[in-house]
Amino acid sequence: MNKWEIFWRQFYELGGYENFLTGLKNTAYIAVFGLLIGMVLGCLFATFKLLPGKGFFRRFLSIFTDVYVTLFRGTPMLVQLLLIHFVVFPVMGIDISPVLEAIIAFGLNSGAYVSEIMRGGILSVDVGQTEAGRALGLSYGATMVKIVLPQAIKNVIPTLGNEFITLLKETSVVSLIAVMDITKSFQTIGQRTLEVIVPYLMLAVVYLVIIMVVTGLVKLLERRLRASDRN
Amino acid sequence: MIEIKNVYKSFKKLHVLNGVTTTVKEGERIVIIGPSGCGKSTLLRCMNLLEEPTYGEVWLDGKTVTPIDPYLYPELIKLSKTFAKLTKSGMSEEEALDKICEERLLKHGEGSAFAKMKKQLYQDNYLNINLARRNMGMVFQNVNLFNNMTVMQNLTCAPVSLGIKTKEEANEIALRLLDRIGLLDKKDEYPSKLSGGQRQRIAIIRSLCMEPKYMLFDEPTSALDPEMVGEVLALMKDLASEGMTMVIVTHEMGFAREVATRVMFLDKGKIAEEGTPDEVFSHPKNERLKEFLSKVL
Repeated sequence: MNKWEIFWRQFYELGGYENFLTGLKNTAYIAVFGLLIGMVLGCLFATFKLLPGKGFFRRFLSIFTDVYVTLFRGTPMLVQLLLIHFVVFPVMGIDISPVLEAIIAFGLNSGAYVSEIMRGGILSVDVGQTEAGRALGLSYGATMVKIVLPQAIKNVIPTLGNEFITLLKETSVVSLIAVMDITKSFQTIGQRTLEVIVPYLMLAVVYLVIIMVVTGLVKLLERRLRASDRN
Repeated sequence: MIEIKNVYKSFKKLHVLNGVTTTVKEGERIVIIGPSGCGKSTLLRCMNLLEEPTYGEVWLDGKTVTPIDPYLYPELIKLSKTFAKLTKSGMSEEEALDKICEERLLKHGEGSAFAKMKKQLYQDNYLNINLARRNMGMVFQNVNLFNNMTVMQNLTCAPVSLGIKTKEEANEIALRLLDRIGLLDKKDEYPSKLSGGQRQRIAIIRSLCMEPKYMLFDEPTSALDPEMVGEVLALMKDLASEGMTMVIVTHEMGFAREVATRVMFLDKGKIAEEGTPDEVFSHPKNERLKEFLSKVL
């Protein structure tokens, strides 16, 4: 049997694909829900940073955001994941599935990055849009949600796509808290057959294909959202 | 009635408005003219608090939208510690009042009687700015239609999401106004597909959809191609003939003369001269105004 046959036998006939499917599902969950949480947090934090006025509450929110962003951008993703899995949640007595833990960890992490992306996006929307909204009697929050954020998100779609791709690839570290993801599923095959060349090559190809699909989807989304722009 | 009470506005070191006091009565059409940088737009933007005055108050229909400015209330100043200190040092009450207002001497912590009365004044007279703005439509120089919405969404967004109108009512009003300006066929277009004049006219009716009592115009034709100016001015004249209360900042002197009930000439952040269009344009008294008119007419 050559290397390819060994791999194929392990993957198909001996049920390696079941791990792969679970892994694919987990990777997708972590990346997608991580980004969703990240976007909600990011929009919130970006808004905190850009609140008008200079009251105590506003300053508190701004400093809180600064600390948050510094912490989550200043430490490696893997370290954050390990901390959440082995330190934070056990100390707090929270017992949830590792996949959920990973989703939370990636969501918190990506919130820090997305907040900076969104801040840039919000600043790229002409201040006149906000003024027009406020002048009609809409509150700051309503103006933000209905007018500014939709335009800001459209402006940052390419950058957000980039963030999603980074996030997706970074999920490959979740095997360290015992989550079955794509990387882990191919690693398992390698360990069982003691033959690593083909599994790791295939692993790279799988990631590449996923990223290419994602890139295509982002482009499609971008084109849809540009419908309101001049031709 | 919009009342501007001794409004000062400075941006860092730059003093744009230096004590403007005026009243906009219902049915009036006030045109504000003046050289660039004289504070025309800033004054207009202070009326609906897009700029917050540094000192002074803005009142709408008997309620203030700005915080209480203690310098406008002699009886309030008399309760302050600073006033007590000055009168104790031998100054007469009058002198002390003048000195405090002149040099802006009030600080934080002027005593509990002062704070209590100030709070009382505020509670009695305060009007939330978001509510006030519903009655004041604003049209901008650079239009500011919402780029992420179609024309119809632009028109109905505010009235519907503020709960003033149901979706059906808002649609009906929007369609009627669109029909009036002859742009009914553009209702599902995005703003980017429209010409400058069309956009500005839609921005005007977007404000009208809120059925405001007052309309503020901030150089509505300055950013338009010359051939589009006419259609926007025509719509504004139309509004004027219906008796809408309007405050207009513009460089269109012909329009000002035709539409205004009062013309206000601003120079260096103050009202240098005001009066009927005839008084201001044909018989100007202020030297600066004469010079300005000789350049623009």
